[in-house]
Formats: sequence, structure tokens, C-alpha cells
Amino acid sequence: METFYMTFASTALVMIFGLIIGALLYLSASDGLNPNRTLYGILSVIVSIGRSIPFLILIVLLIPVTRIIVGTILGPTAAIPALVVGGTPFYARIVEMALHEKGMFLKETGVAIGLSNRQIITKILIPESLPALVRGITVTAITLASFTSIAGAIGAGGLGDLAYLYGYARNRHTVTMIATVLVVGLVVLIQLVGDLIVKKLSPATD
Amino acid sequence: MITFSHVDKTFNSKNQITEAVRDVSLTVKPNTIHGIIGQSGAGKSTLIRLINQLEIHDAGEINVLDYSDIRRLNKESMRMLRREIGMIFQHFNLLESKTVLENVLFPIEAHGEKSDENTQKAFDLINSVGLQGYEHTVPSKLSGGMKQRVGIARALINDPKILLCDEPTSALDVQTTGDILDLIKEIQSERNLTVVLVTHDMHVIKEVCDAVTVMHQGHVVEDGTLEEILFSARHPVTKTLTAAIGYNVEEIAKNHAHLPNKTLLRFPSHVTSDDILSKVIRRLDADINILFANITPSKEGVMLVSIDSTVPQDVKTALKENGVVIVHDQY
Repeated sequence: METFYMTFASTALVMIFGLIIGALLYLSASDGLNPNRTLYGILSVIVSIGRSIPFLILIVLLIPVTRIIVGTILGPTAAIPALVVGGTPFYARIVEMALHEKGMFLKETGVAIGLSNRQIITKILIPESLPALVRGITVTAITLASFTSIAGAIGAGGLGDLAYLYGYARNRHTVTMIATVLVVGLVVLIQLVGDLIVKKLSPATD
Repeated sequence: MITFSHVDKTFNSKNQITEAVRDVSLTVKPNTIHGIIGQSGAGKSTLIRLINQLEIHDAGEINVLDYSDIRRLNKESMRMLRREIGMIFQHFNLLESKTVLENVLFPIEAHGEKSDENTQKAFDLINSVGLQGYEHTVPSKLSGGMKQRVGIARALINDPKILLCDEPTSALDVQTTGDILDLIKEIQSERNLTVVLVTHDMHVIKEVCDAVTVMHQGHVVEDGTLEEILFSARHPVTKTLTAAIGYNVEEIAKNHAHLPNKTLLRFPSHVTSDDILSKVIRRLDADINILFANITPSKEGVMLVSIDSTVPQDVKTALKENGVVIVHDQY
């Protein structure tokens, strides 16, 4: 259950931050709606660094921040800042790509009917790229589920904790196997739900 | 209606400077279909995008409707101007997640002004572009021609005074192109619209345009009525374009170098149904060979003839007396 909690709480936060940062990346890109080389450069560097730090190292690096935000560095909630920081850059890039793909032709349509940049993003680009955004959050959620196992192994609890501390460390392979099956089950579930939503959203299938 | 004076637009991208529009001055008359033609990279797409400021020019002045120097308009005025300008695109640019009806209503709905009256108007527009029954279909189920019809209905929802068409038929086959051009012509005359149409295809120009601007490397190289462009082209770029659809009269004259007295005649629309040629032939016992003839969209006749007679001047005079204009006779 701790794994569920960590995965879904962090996915929800990653979705919000990823959308905001992804939209800002799209807006400020050289062929975006409001090109701003400085903003794009800064965001791009942060996102790239965020994506390249291995998750285990990220957790350690974020210990002081976690202590300030959550008040502790143990337990599932303490894992969430690291999960969000690790997942957001990943999703932000997906958002940027999805908006960019739809924006190529549709942004001029929005400008031509007198919409503001904000309206173009909220009324045209996000609704139009919704299937891609959902597919992206599915992939992100799966990545986050695997991150929780790493977090679990160093004190966050959940299936990672079960597999490592109770299974591997105590030489009880059945426990490890059960934990693995449960993680796989979670991933399959996320994928199924994601696919189902995409299918509902895709206009071509009705 | 729309005037450009000394307009420049340059694109700066990584170490590359593209002068897309250079010192363009141009007038688009109200209630006409004005074609802009040129090869790719000639600056024609940039030019049409300046009219609703999808691109913003660097220098010069553009006046549209009652708005002067549109580059200096504030946001609110620009929004009002854009609502008076409809636009259709080469790739239709429909919203795939919305139905035909929602697409047509989008320019109104996006501004939060949905009403039953507007919905009825959207239904009527969908009807008038020939898509009745498809109101609740999504664009991915439609053919290219039908998608462009949705684009046209969407462009008309705000009752614009100007319709901008950016390569509206370049993604369509020949038959569908003809249908879409007929539709554009029809709505133009029904609604007294001013249409600006960009294309690389002289066939499209010939079918629908009243006035034509020829662009090359950012410059306007020739500008005139369709007849002037088709039959009295001066610039080599224009000549290449008209030759491509078999309208280069000079070329035809050159291919018939051995024939005497080659003359280009113009038949104003009120005489095109008279039997002038046969009357003149019988009266003056002349041989008149037709090398090329065509009727333009404005119902004027144009004919390149060779007059084989001992008294060619008399033949010409007789033609003139019947209302025919001698455009050119020095081939």
C-alpha cells in the first residue's frame, strides 16, 4: 500500500509540475509562442540535469530539502520530494514534445482567431494533445513505480522495502518473488488504465 | 481595403537571414479574389500572414479595413481586426478532438460566447459548404476536401469581411481542388468577401482570381488583372508561370513564325456571343486562323489569330468596329 501511495501521490504532483514546466518550455522555445532564449536555456539545463542524475543519488542529495519540507527523511511521504524531482523533468519533456507536435500547425489557427498564448495552450494544444499527454503520464507513472522500489530499499517502505529488507537481506526468496509479482502487477495495472483512458479520448475510435 | 506600402519582413534564425518580403507595395481591392502566386520561397505565404499579423513586419505600413498601420494596433484592436478576417490553411488545421460542429463554433466558443443563435448559424454554415449530416463527425473520418469545407465554414463563423486562403488546395487532388475553388468563388460573391489567395499553381489563379500579384524572391515582380497577367505578362517569372498552363501567347506566336499578321484580340464580355469573326471573314474574304483562344473567368475572350489577307489593316478595322480590341500585333 505504501508503494501505491508513493506512486500515485508523486504521479499527481509530477503531472502538475510537468505540465507547467513543459508548457513553459514550449512557450519559450525558439519556434514557440513567445520565444525567450534565456528562460528556455535555464529550464532546459535544469530539466536535463534533473534527468541525468541517477535516482539513488538524487534521494541522497535531496535529504536536507526533504527534511525541511516533510520534517523527516524516513517513511513513504519522505520519498515523495525525490520522486517528484526525479519524475518532473521526464514528464516535462514529454509535455513539451506533445505540445510542439500539435502546435506546428494549430498555433497559427489560434492566433488567427484572436486567442492569447494562454488560451492557445489551454483551449487548443492541451485538449488536442491529451492522448499523448495521458500516454506520457502512464510511462512516467511506471518509471515512478520503479523509483519507489529504490526509495523503499533505503527506508521509505513499500514493496522495495519488502523485497530488499525482508526478502533479499533475510534470504527469503519467496518474499522477494511476491514483491516482484506485486510490482509487475502494479505496472500492468497502470498501463491498462492509461491505455483505457487514451482509447476513450482518441476521436478516431468512436 | 488592404494596402501594403514598402513592407519588409526578414527572418533571423541560426546564422541565416532570410529576406522573405522586400519593399512590397500592393493594393487589394474590395470584393475581389486576389491571387498571390510565386514559387516556393517567393515570400507569398509570409505576405498573406502579414495581413492578420501572424507574422509581424519589420518596416513599412499595412492598412486593413478601417485599421491603419496594423503593426501598431493594441491587443484589443488586433483581436477585433482578426475577427473580421477568416483564414483557411493548406493542412486545414482542424481540431481533431472536436466534431465538425465544435470546430466550426470554435472561434466563437473559445472566446466564451456560445449561444443557441451561434449554434444555428454553425448548422447553416455547415449546410452551405455541403456537409449537412456530418455535424457530429470527427475530422479524422473526413476526406481532404471535406476537411477544407469545415475549414471554410469555421473561417466564416464570425462573418468576416476578408478571407485569407493559404494554399487552400495544395493538399487536394485535381477534382477536389475544382470543387473547393467553386465553393470559394460562390461564398465570395454571396457574401461580398475580399479573398486573398496564395498558391503556387497557375491553374488555381486562372480559375478564380480577378487580380494577381506575382512574387519572386520577396519582391512583387508583376501585379495586374488576371487578363493582364495571362496575356500581357512582361516579367520572365510570370511568363514561365503562364507558359506552364499553355497561356504564353508569345511562345505560341513564336512557334508559328511562318504565319502572317499574328494579332492578339480581346473580346469584351458583351461581344463574346456575337458572330464577329465569321462576319468579317465573309465580308472581306479574308482567312483568319485561330492559334489560341480562351475565355477568362470574367467572361472576356482572348484570341491569337493570324490574318491571311491582302488588306490586313481593313480586317483589323472591321474587327474594331465590332467591339474587338486589338491588344498586340507586333509578333
